[in-house]
Amino acid sequence: MTLPIQALAERWHEAALLTAGLIGFAFGFVLERAGFGRSTKLAAQFYLYDMTVFKVMFGAIVTAMLGVVLASGLGLVDLGSLSAGAVSYTFIWPMLVGGLLLGIGFIISGYCPGTSLVGAASGHLDAVVTMTGVGIG
Amino acid sequence: MNGKEQKFWNPYLAGVALGLVLLTAFLVTGHGLGASGGVYRVGVALLDSLAPAHVGHSAYLSEATGGGGVLDNFYVFMLLGVFLGGLVSSFAAGRWGARVVRGPRISAGARLGLALTGGIIMGFAARMSRGCTSGQALSGGALMSVGSWIFMLCVFAGGYAVAYFVRRQWT
Repeated sequence: MTLPIQALAERWHEAALLTAGLIGFAFGFVLERAGFGRSTKLAAQFYLYDMTVFKVMFGAIVTAMLGVVLASGLGLVDLGSLSAGAVSYTFIWPMLVGGLLLGIGFIISGYCPGTSLVGAASGHLDAVVTMTGVGIG
Repeated sequence: MNGKEQKFWNPYLAGVALGLVLLTAFLVTGHGLGASGGVYRVGVALLDSLAPAHVGHSAYLSEATGGGGVLDNFYVFMLLGVFLGGLVSSFAAGRWGARVVRGPRISAGARLGLALTGGIIMGFAARMSRGCTSGQALSGGALMSVGSWIFMLCVFAGGYAVAYFVRRQWT
């Protein structure tokens, strides 16, 4: 069997949606536990007195990267089909400008789109407003 | 802040945990993690119910309403999951509470106005670059996508560049 389970996406659509929900649950749970539901903690990264955002993000990237490489080495996963499904094409300028804009929006609002969800779920009204803004934008 | 509130996880441990969630997403579903995609589709669905003619005229927006409605989408389900996960976690840790998170020098109204402004900018930006911090920087970054790394560096560049001007909001 080669992962990712393609049949999951094609034949068992409901199961795939449920899986997405479960993974989302874990994602939201971990983000909240890391303190990412609180705008003051996220914003602190940009004033360099709290490096949590860097530590968590790069910790996650390195972990997932090692895991993918390991799984690929063991023949568990087809790296080609994975990157075809999970990585978008590279458009330098839109990504450059979009990244700059997103960073500006991040420090003004205090959340990124994902953490605004977690913040809103924790009852933080500023996050509810940010989430609404993301929808409008 | 009450005394019962639990501490946040150690950032390195949280990073590894987040990485494992991301790895599971890659291996099981073939997709990374994403947040802005779900918010975008819910937003378009709302717009479609308010102004169906506008959505019908725009090919870009119509694409997002295709398929079996807004609930028939991977990222919308993930969005619901993220929300529930955050809710359960904050409740369990005694952190849940309706309030406006802000620095000591800014009013709640101004904070909410800035939150909305930033949110609108980010919603636009996330469509432009095909993803937000979760989808592009985190998921794409872990797969060494060149565009994702450019994006991530630009997010931090943009944040640091503007941080000085909004510092009154936080400190």
